[in-house]
Amino acid sequence: MSHKILVVDDDNALREMVGIVLESEGFEVAFHDAGSGALDKFNAEVPDLVLLDVMLPGKTGIEVCREIRAVSGTPIIMLTAKTESDDVVLGLEAGADDYVVKPFDPGVLTARIRARLRPLAGSSAEGTVKIGPLTLDIEGHEVRRGSEKISLTPLEFSLLLALAQKPNLVFSRAMLLEKVWGYRHNDDTRLVNVHVQRLRSKIEDDPDNPKIVTTVRGVGYKAGQG
Amino acid sequence: MRFRGVASWAISLFRRYLQVRAVFSTVVITGIALTIVGGFLSYSIGGGLFSTRQAQVLAESERAVVEVQNTFAASSVSNEVALQTLMNTIVPSIESTGTTNSRRVALIRSPGQATGQVLQSPISADLDTKVIPANLRVKVRASAGKLLYQSISLPVAGNEHPGIVVGAPIQIPLAGNYEFYLVFDLNSEQQTLDFVQRTLFFGGLILLFMIGAISFFVTDWLVRPVRLAAEVSEQLSEGALDRRLPERGEDIIAILARSFNKMAQSLQSQITQLASLSKMQQRFVSDVSHELRTPLTTIKLAGDMIFAGRDTLSPPVKRSAELMHDQIERFEALLNDLLEISRYDAGAVIADLEMQDLNGVVGMAIAGIEPLAMSKGSEILIEIPQGPVDAEMDSRRIERLLRNLLANAIEHGEGKPIRVAVGVSESAVAVTVTDEGVGMTRAEVDRVFDRFWRADPARKRTTGGTGLGLAISLEDTHLHDGWLQVWAKPNEGASFRLTLPRRKGMIFTQSPLPLPPKKSKKRSDA
Ligand SMILES: Nc1ncnc2c1ncn2[C@@H]1O[C@H](COP(=O)(O)OP(=O)(O)O)[C@@H](O)[C@H]1O
Ligand SMILES: [Mg+2]
Repeated sequence: MSHKILVVDDDNALREMVGIVLESEGFEVAFHDAGSGALDKFNAEVPDLVLLDVMLPGKTGIEVCREIRAVSGTPIIMLTAKTESDDVVLGLEAGADDYVVKPFDPGVLTARIRARLRPLAGSSAEGTVKIGPLTLDIEGHEVRRGSEKISLTPLEFSLLLALAQKPNLVFSRAMLLEKVWGYRHNDDTRLVNVHVQRLRSKIEDDPDNPKIVTTVRGVGYKAGQG
Repeated sequence: MRFRGVASWAISLFRRYLQVRAVFSTVVITGIALTIVGGFLSYSIGGGLFSTRQAQVLAESERAVVEVQNTFAASSVSNEVALQTLMNTIVPSIESTGTTNSRRVALIRSPGQATGQVLQSPISADLDTKVIPANLRVKVRASAGKLLYQSISLPVAGNEHPGIVVGAPIQIPLAGNYEFYLVFDLNSEQQTLDFVQRTLFFGGLILLFMIGAISFFVTDWLVRPVRLAAEVSEQLSEGALDRRLPERGEDIIAILARSFNKMAQSLQSQITQLASLSKMQQRFVSDVSHELRTPLTTIKLAGDMIFAGRDTLSPPVKRSAELMHDQIERFEALLNDLLEISRYDAGAVIADLEMQDLNGVVGMAIAGIEPLAMSKGSEILIEIPQGPVDAEMDSRRIERLLRNLLANAIEHGEGKPIRVAVGVSESAVAVTVTDEGVGMTRAEVDRVFDRFWRADPARKRTTGGTGLGLAISLEDTHLHDGWLQVWAKPNEGASFRLTLPRRKGMIFTQSPLPLPPKKSKKRSDA
């Protein structure tokens, strides 16, 4: 079964070219050319992944990203022309799973897309994992605190699962990038930091004083205290 | 010890403050002038007092001598007892007693006369005849009636008073040759002089103090605007461009303030204009780079698509696809470098400093460049110290910098081995990248960090560098307060040395590694 990808970009040539590349890689592609109406298109198409340009007429890609996140955990990859932190961090904070910087290689783009579409890391295991007050149901991709269900995106779920399966093991950012994002030789610490921040805001009682996912200064993160 | 402290404090005060200098010199010069004037005044007042008194003394003496002579001439004493009685009346009639302004009298028989005499010499009670100098007595005896005088020092109640002795010879009938002396005490003149001198001294002291104070206030009044101007220009140079001096009145100070303000104004407007220009320029470069990115993405995707399918194309089209593919990559590198250098130009680069093992960073850079080195057949030999070499750095930038040095060494190294060395000292760390390739002439070395400069545009290029590599490397080095230096010789090779402080702000004067590097025989494989 081929995955459907929604490409939202206002540049006609680029949109078409990305479509050609993705189709040649065996994806099914849908297009939208503006920020406004992107959510309706998303709801109509129900894609497996969204490629979202940051600079869009009508609504910025960041707003669109937030709208989609409000209704769905579908992977979102931002396309950004700026490498300066602001844009990237804003996009990630709005809920994007990943980003690629223009101009990108077709190989890089498809690798990032495949990484987001492949089955979740560690999800071959069965049963449940407990961490602090949380219970992770691996098959159901669900997290519960007591009987209350917490909604995480697939990426956040696999980040939490990776940490929770080896409690008290300290993960460096590079390890997490490899295990969760599927990157090798990448030291993009922003990607990890922003997602840990988002994850904490959903699962911690006090995100500024985390108890479940803690920071080990100078090294990385781990699940549990101490 | 203590005195020296005070002295050096005073000297530093003196050096530092114009006003202290001005007041000090005024006081010193006035002091010298007052001493001269005071000395002259006290000298001439003393002289005047003395000569007036002396004239008076001589006139009195003359009268007294005449009176004494008349007394004896007019008398008609015939026996010694009567003469003695007459002589005894002379002293009380002429002397005047007291501690000041006293006049003592002595009527002494000249020595060396034949007749033996039993007459007593009448002398004022409190006069010691030893005060009458012997040489004066000799002169008086030989003076033939003339009045003679001499200044003496007169002991009075344990003190020495200045005095004058006046003497004259006198003939006494029946008694022979006598000498008549008047001793005057000049103490009251001395006291007047002392008083005048004291008054002059204290008056001078008060005057000196007042002149010091006045010069302090006057210089303070004059220096204050200058000091204010100094303060304001200090603040201006620290970036507070809107500071101005108060403009009051029409005098020279007001002119200074006005022209100072005018200067500050034009400085401020020029600086703001330049700043806004450079901001615009920077925005423009950055906008252009960003705007180029979207079409470049399309071109790149299309180029890759064509490149991937090049085997189905006819030979000329296939070659075109290959060329296009390479040039798109070069274009992208150029765009990135341009953006990076424009960020530096705008001063928008902030170092992301972290403690890092330089050995590790060197290793990463070598790992990244390995494929290029292999394709050119260049062996990379490394020589690094045992254990970690920690230094505070922005590792992303330093790795990029080293990769550029390595790429250059590979490109210009003609396939000969490339040596990489790491060194460390107390305050600095260093890396050298040395090749044995074409090298450079002196003139080329001088230009090697210039933007878009390349030694020989016709030189065969394989890695498609942008000509901005070393310019960015130098900016990266400056960002770390480090050094990036070159040694090169034509056909012998080139060596680039990067030296960084171990911690931000550490001062180093020497790099831990030599440049040019020592030729090492020892080889350890990468
Ligand atoms: N190791 C070297 N040996 C000889 N020449 C060099 C070496 N490194 C740099 N150069 C000269 O300096 C020029 C500028 O280098 P660089 O700024 O890195 O730009 P680029 O590598 O893109 O040409 C090079 O083109 C070359 O002429
Ligand atoms: Mg270069």
